[in-house]
Amino acid sequence: MRFALNEDQATFATVLEQMLATAEFNTVEGWGRYDLGTALDAQLEENGFYEAAREPDLGPVAAALMVYEAARAPVCFECAASALIRPYAGRDLPRPLAVVHGEARGAIRYLPQARGLVSITADAVRYADLPEGAVTPSESLYAYPMGNVDRAALDWEKLDVDPAEFDTLWRIAIAAELTGVLQAGHDAVLEHVRDRKQFGQPLGAFQGVQHRLATGAVEIEGAKLQMLKAAQSRTAQDAALALGFAQGIATRITYDLHQFMGAMGLTLEHPLHRWSYRAKLLRADLGGSAASYLAYADERWGAA
Amino acid sequence: MDFTWTDEDAAYRARIRAFLDRELPDNWDEIARHGPGSPEQTEFSLNFCPKLAEEGLLIPHWPEEWGGAARPPWEHFILGEEMWRAGEPRGAQYMNVNWIGPVLMKYGSDAQKAQYIPPMAEGRAIWCQGFSEPNAGSDLASLRTRAVREGEDYVINGQKIWTSYAGLASTCFLLAQTGGAEGGRSGIAIFLVPMDTPGIEVRAIPSLIGHGDIHEVFFTDVRVPASCRLGEEGEGWSIISYALANERVGIPRYEMGTAELDAMVAELKRRDAFSDSIVRSRASAAAAACEAARLQVYRVVDGRARNEPPGNESNLARVAVIAAEQAVADFGMDFLPDAFSGADHMSMLSHHERAIVTGIAAGAAEIQLNLIARRHLNLPKGA
Repeated sequence: MRFALNEDQATFATVLEQMLATAEFNTVEGWGRYDLGTALDAQLEENGFYEAAREPDLGPVAAALMVYEAARAPVCFECAASALIRPYAGRDLPRPLAVVHGEARGAIRYLPQARGLVSITADAVRYADLPEGAVTPSESLYAYPMGNVDRAALDWEKLDVDPAEFDTLWRIAIAAELTGVLQAGHDAVLEHVRDRKQFGQPLGAFQGVQHRLATGAVEIEGAKLQMLKAAQSRTAQDAALALGFAQGIATRITYDLHQFMGAMGLTLEHPLHRWSYRAKLLRADLGGSAASYLAYADERWGAA
Repeated sequence: MDFTWTDEDAAYRARIRAFLDRELPDNWDEIARHGPGSPEQTEFSLNFCPKLAEEGLLIPHWPEEWGGAARPPWEHFILGEEMWRAGEPRGAQYMNVNWIGPVLMKYGSDAQKAQYIPPMAEGRAIWCQGFSEPNAGSDLASLRTRAVREGEDYVINGQKIWTSYAGLASTCFLLAQTGGAEGGRSGIAIFLVPMDTPGIEVRAIPSLIGHGDIHEVFFTDVRVPASCRLGEEGEGWSIISYALANERVGIPRYEMGTAELDAMVAELKRRDAFSDSIVRSRASAAAAACEAARLQVYRVVDGRARNEPPGNESNLARVAVIAAEQAVADFGMDFLPDAFSGADHMSMLSHHERAIVTGIAAGAAEIQLNLIARRHLNLPKGA
């Protein structure tokens, strides 16, 4: 039992942190809800960050940590699938990479930028290139680029991998991204309540605010540790529990963050939505908390 | 990062479990029904802890000088987890091995060490802690019990409350004011008071958490020699801070919560009532709360094992543990409500009784939230 990163992981985390620190919040033309961090993404790719999962001294823990850290940036770029799905595909896949799980309907995040789509179902993992013009970008409430594709029209190739393993990897990836956006939103709100004064004192001095933020901090920390543990074990049980927990805490925390940010959090001039509106989508992924918990119950306690 | 156990740690855990399987009596469930704070379990510990001591499983983390084996913090922690998982057969004596013994080693006089440490190491000493008072709960520094110096003695007057184990304890680890009228932290001293000293009266408080678990202890002109004082006058607060730092994360309650959750699921399965999706997902939510608590506690132990200075992680861990205990108790109440009205499921009843205490004992949860807000989140202090 050791909670400190190993030397390689620590170096990886330090360099990653420096690179991510260059990302700034900027409003985008037409008041879009997301700002694509294309340059940052390219820099991470060039420096081999997306290969961490298969590096013996870095491994999936470093990859999951990267997804978590990348999610904290005020820009977005496809990281989760590249860091935790692509290295295990058994063949070279292009990136950015979009993922669709099961029979999930509707728009898929990062599809407009993606060069390929991975489909994870109970019986197989399949991959398809995304030919030019196949994807229709869609308007979305969420702070992600989203798009639709006629899946039946794609040229699917079955990957020689275990679907259950990919299900687990994807749960870990989502748990990492969700925990990261919650942490970033929490940090932004902390900064706000330290500065913003009402009734003669900072909002963050009111105990009603303090206790809810403290509770949120405890929950986010619990989610992060479970996610990292799942990344190390890569068991279905740990992954389902980590995702169920992260999705379970996301709703209330997201409401709280907007509550404490007040009207400022409603504007597109403040970055809170960059994280909170990703959390809103991620918390419902793979059927949401209850579905992940059902998957955990099957693993832990078996059938009824 | 590594969330797995070493082979040595796993073997150590297995050894403890094998010992418990062998040594806990057939009627252990009957005894453990009443919970770790009960007089039944405290009495049981006087029979059980000597066996643990003989096996080298009572004080393995203590220095060799005092009969220990100077084993590392993780082993000490695994031992605590396994004991708590089994229902804490050490009863009151977990306090001796976790913090009272180590505090005496650091601050005690030679005479105090010689008198008190060997019986703890042998597993035959029951202590109680005289901390809380009617007007000093979470705000412990406002305690009013006074010890007034008279020649070679102190005369103690005051009242303690919520005291666990007082009915059977032979010694009280007592906090009292010796300073001026202003009181507060700087006036606190610690006394090791034999409970059979004239002037001490113990009354059990009827309570929701079991009969004989908590007490009022009255001190009326209790005269003790000055040699009963631990450390110097005014040193009490720093000693108690050291003691509580030793106890940073408190009891691994999530471990018993996890065991209890498994028992609840087994009972639901027996009733053919564990197929419903709502029940299954709620059971998992309780398991996740336990896991969140477990990992946060482990992080604190990891820091201790690596000799890092205490950080705020223990405050976070305490809050996570409370949420875990409550999640398990709520699951039981929601889906096995009849278990709380009959005699068949006393362990669940006992778990629920403890769950309502978790956020209160050893300082209210709100204090932890205050500390997290101020120290961990750097939020400002209110006007």
